[in-house]
Amino acid sequence: MKKSIFAIFFSILLTPIFTDAQTSANPIKASDLFGDLRARHIGPAVMSGRINDMETHPTNARIIYAGTAGGGVWKSNDAGTTFNPIFDKYCQSIGVVTLDPNDPDNVIYVGTGETWTRNSVSIGDGLYKSTDGGATWNKLGFENSERIANIIVNPNNSNEVYMGVLGALWSDSNERGVYKSTDAGATWEKILYIDETTGAADLAMDPNNPSVLYASMWEFRRTGWSFNSGGDKSALYKSTDSGKTWNKIHNGFPAGKLGRLAIAVAPSDSNVLYTVIEAEEDTKKGLYRSNDAGNSWEQLNNDFGITVRPFYFSRIVVDPRNPDVVVKGGLSGSISRDGGKTFKNLGNMHADIHDVVFDIKDSDRMYVGTDGGVYRSWNGGTTLEIVENLPLSQFYHISVDNEEPYNVYGGLQDNGSWYGPSSAGGGVKASDWVPVGFGDGFRVLRHPTKNIIYSEMQGAENVWRYDADNKLVKTIQPLPQKGYPKLRFNWNAPMATSMHKPDRFYMGSQFVHRSEDMGDTWQIISPDLTTNDPAKQQQEDSGGLSMDNSGAENHTTIFTITESPLDENIIWVGTDDGNVQVSTNGGKSWTNTTPNITGLPANIWVYHIEASVHGKGTAYAVFDGHTKGDMKPYAYKTTDYGKTWKNIISDDVEIFARSIQEDFENEDLLFLGTEFGLYITLDGGASWSKFENNMPAVAVHHVEMHPRTNDIVMGTHGRGVIIIDDVSPLREITAEALSKKVHFFSSKTAVMKDQSGGFGNGFGAETQFVGRNAPSSAQIKYLLPKRHTFGKMTMEIQDMDGNKIVSISPGKSKGINIVNWNYTIKQPKVAKGKTFSFGGFTSPRVQAGTYKAVLTKGKDTFEHTFEVVNDKKTGLSDTAISMKHETTMKMYNMTQDLAYMVYELDAIYESVKDSNKKLASSLNDLKETLVVTTGDNYVGAAEPQLREKMADLYSKIAGSYDKPSAAELESLAVIEDRFNAAKEQFAKLKKKAKVDDLELKTFDDFVNE
Amino acid sequence: MKTLKLILVALAVSFATNVNAQTADELAEMAAEKKAQLSVTADEILNNYFENTGGIDNWNKIEGLKMYAKVNNGGMEIPIEITQLKNGKQMTVINFQGKEIKQGVFNGEVLWSTNFMTQKAEKSDAEATANFKLEANDFPDAFLNYKEKGYTVELLGKEDIEGTETYKIKLVKEPVTVDGIEEENVSFYFFDSENFVPLAVHSEIRQGQAKGMISEVTFSDYQEVGDIYMPFSMTQGIKGQGGQPITMDKIELNPVVDDKAFEFPEEEASKDDGDGNKN
Repeated sequence: MKKSIFAIFFSILLTPIFTDAQTSANPIKASDLFGDLRARHIGPAVMSGRINDMETHPTNARIIYAGTAGGGVWKSNDAGTTFNPIFDKYCQSIGVVTLDPNDPDNVIYVGTGETWTRNSVSIGDGLYKSTDGGATWNKLGFENSERIANIIVNPNNSNEVYMGVLGALWSDSNERGVYKSTDAGATWEKILYIDETTGAADLAMDPNNPSVLYASMWEFRRTGWSFNSGGDKSALYKSTDSGKTWNKIHNGFPAGKLGRLAIAVAPSDSNVLYTVIEAEEDTKKGLYRSNDAGNSWEQLNNDFGITVRPFYFSRIVVDPRNPDVVVKGGLSGSISRDGGKTFKNLGNMHADIHDVVFDIKDSDRMYVGTDGGVYRSWNGGTTLEIVENLPLSQFYHISVDNEEPYNVYGGLQDNGSWYGPSSAGGGVKASDWVPVGFGDGFRVLRHPTKNIIYSEMQGAENVWRYDADNKLVKTIQPLPQKGYPKLRFNWNAPMATSMHKPDRFYMGSQFVHRSEDMGDTWQIISPDLTTNDPAKQQQEDSGGLSMDNSGAENHTTIFTITESPLDENIIWVGTDDGNVQVSTNGGKSWTNTTPNITGLPANIWVYHIEASVHGKGTAYAVFDGHTKGDMKPYAYKTTDYGKTWKNIISDDVEIFARSIQEDFENEDLLFLGTEFGLYITLDGGASWSKFENNMPAVAVHHVEMHPRTNDIVMGTHGRGVIIIDDVSPLREITAEALSKKVHFFSSKTAVMKDQSGGFGNGFGAETQFVGRNAPSSAQIKYLLPKRHTFGKMTMEIQDMDGNKIVSISPGKSKGINIVNWNYTIKQPKVAKGKTFSFGGFTSPRVQAGTYKAVLTKGKDTFEHTFEVVNDKKTGLSDTAISMKHETTMKMYNMTQDLAYMVYELDAIYESVKDSNKKLASSLNDLKETLVVTTGDNYVGAAEPQLREKMADLYSKIAGSYDKPSAAELESLAVIEDRFNAAKEQFAKLKKKAKVDDLELKTFDDFVNE
Repeated sequence: MKTLKLILVALAVSFATNVNAQTADELAEMAAEKKAQLSVTADEILNNYFENTGGIDNWNKIEGLKMYAKVNNGGMEIPIEITQLKNGKQMTVINFQGKEIKQGVFNGEVLWSTNFMTQKAEKSDAEATANFKLEANDFPDAFLNYKEKGYTVELLGKEDIEGTETYKIKLVKEPVTVDGIEEENVSFYFFDSENFVPLAVHSEIRQGQAKGMISEVTFSDYQEVGDIYMPFSMTQGIKGQGGQPITMDKIELNPVVDDKAFEFPEEEASKDDGDGNKN
């Protein structure tokens, strides 16, 4: 069998990974080459993000699930103290999470697609099931369901499952209505269907009689410019035969059209039902109750809190133990303790309450899902506390500055505008994020040269210019101008700065507005660049039965503006109704280039235009048709100012895209932000690979590349800011690099940073989300054409003479490997004592210079040289740095010398302790001055001896950014004297012992053992 | 220090392969379809694994292992020795500044570790000990004779690990008890589809602050130990976030170990009672 393994081994080595036919013209699929290139998440979680659905475990009160609008499924094992994501590989927009009450530890159903259908809502891609508590998931179909509202498992029969599919928001679809499975989800039958415009908005089962079901059907539709809720087909139905037949139960309902209806059965009394009705007449809207299982209904309440925005708030939850305690989602959330007659608001928390669950044992404990995360209450909803480790922030756009570490700026759905550091002492925490705007936030841009930040709220109602140094705020939005029609700003209005004129600032309505003085004065530099289609400008009629003119449906507006980094006169503009306009003369004239694009549906949203650094006429445009029900990705590239456009999307991309980022060096390397995650191409779009290394399949709304660090920075709509540090290795992945046994990527000069980040701030971090920092170590990066699995593979850092500095563990992945070296050598060998000498755990840093990474793989050796430099921020001279290093190494060596002396002493003591008690006693006396021989490592510590003093000073000097102080050098002299005295004394005792034949390790063997 | 301890505890846990699984017959149809595409079974994969790495007979002959390893933690190189015996006895010995610190020592009944502050032995809590005891039969490999142990395995499909195609196999072992509640013991192994050696294990972390996160252990540098191929390099961490490397310098087959080394040092503990316990 030894033979067989070798046969396998050799066949692996000999198998060519790429055939000779492979040329750079052919696609290079990168999906299995990303290796150690990993995303890191920096949140923020301070304001968390939108929650769609909460779920409890029927028997274990510690377990709580949150189904989030754009950030996946999260599970808590500690009664909501902290949560962990369990659904990262799949669609992150969640409609419902349901446990099988008969096997709640294992069987979880997740219906994707959020169901509170605001304009910025994400989409789902079907139904998933896990039978192992969320470790693995299977998709059970319904790819086109877009949003699943409810899943209910019969508490007496796991095989019987009901599902309410709300369905497509933006288009007709017949994949909606109520479905039933009798084989635990494997197959489904549609048991209630109205038409292509009407979906199941809510579904309930009588928990005491699972054959009784209630379903609310809702007629609804959204377009890019309007929303309609309600119609003749909306209705509430009941079935008493497990869904075979359904009847409307409208006795007591208002006449006319109905909108979104909610339905809830009181778990403790099957006769008590509640519904919330959206009706034509305002006085007839509100909460209705039935005391006879739906035979008749009575209106009880139509307060604002009950009737507000039914499409967004429609959940009713009844206390599992008391049929008269009812909670209704809403702007603040409402609770009634008199059976629905009167309500008061829930306690202070983030606005927009979408779902509430009661603890399974104690109704005082509640979990609330809001637009700003999950809240816990311990007193029946009076006061609430936020869950602090849910980084679900929903960014629309992000940008970066050039600070070190750089900051990330961005605006959030319903959560204002913010900036925060890409790395911070102790990790990026909630307290590191700074708010810079109210309302919904969208674009946030830092002035190219000044500490001035531009931010905005919905519809450019306010555009702020914030002088961050002096804390001065001014609103600078363009105002209506004489001779121009009313300005139409998108809900998410575009702004842009210039790389050529730092004070220049652009905004877009239907016109391009340009300011040369940071927004103080504005000039319109374009005609109306949109289609100006009046049919798409009737926002005051939007909403259907409940008027909803928030500005979110403003249409025929400019959505993206970008000035060429190569020429200030080249300006690209994209509109939400399909126009890609370009000016090559600073706005004097404009050309609509969209007619030059073939294969593009008419009038779909131009979400992003990227003006290239690779050529003045080069740009990328990303189009989003999802608001017309078209979920396909569209991205095009032009190199001739839009005269011709080339499709750069391959079949690999599964869903619509919003943003693209080019690499600043390799024109073929592109990053595409899609609704289901990030895609990367190495071949200019001939093929794309999904990037999944710690990267959830979250909607990536915006992608930036940091020009200094080569980091990819993503604004996600549900998982905050996600960064992939230094993607420069991707530039070098070619067929040729892959044909080598090992390809080392070029490395940046490594800076031995001395900023420890101050003292961090770990207080409260136990239950908070803390974002990972960028690595500060030297990184050795290489490409392996195949994973190293058999035989030895090691790495050493060596000086240029080939002397070993340290061993480090190399990565073995196929693709990109990144090995971190923190510039240190091994910690010194420390004398053995009774306790630890904590100073001895310090590893000293090397000197600046050139080093080699030597990779040994089987019989082959590969080398890569790299530079290490000192951190200039310390302000130390080269002499001071050398002195620090020499002193540190002197003490390092002293520490090891002492260790060897104690080793020798112990050995001699052992050999003479019986034969020469007096000498043994002298040896022991000496030892007691060298190392501690009593006590423990905590408050029982003994008085420090030479070893402790030496190691502590060594650690103090090695750990400082500064050169050794006079006091430290003085202390060193004292220690040195004492050590010299001890050496002399030991030499004498050693002589007396006459142990020349004693077998001792050499010093080198001893320190390297 | 705390971090170090966590690493070592995690290390000890990772060595004892763990978990359990339950087949879900309701998805049988889909699963069957998926498996049909795979053309191999879980048992074939496991058999190939054992055959390619030395043969079932040789695996069954292993009485004990002693691993001499190094953990490199931020420039600090920590030598450790891990001993595991067929009867479930095991220990990890760390050498710090000439002092031996034992972690995860199990004599078959008692699980104990050296306290870093007092350097005295302390017993693990009853639940941890009971769970540890369940793993006594997992030496040298949880999959070896898994049926006799009452374990179940299931081939879930193919998945890429570190750019390499693997078979994902779910292993279900005896249930464990966590904070008073019995839980299934499931882990997922990823066997290289070319040579059938495991490249990684995923399992849910059940204890401590990281509870609920998924741990990932990867294996490489398979080399011969006697007649058996074993991984000489591992990494251990949270899935998706990179891992802490552990490198084996040497693995000794059937080491001679004094049984006393596994015993909880009762006397020493009582002699210095109370010392160093002030806080």
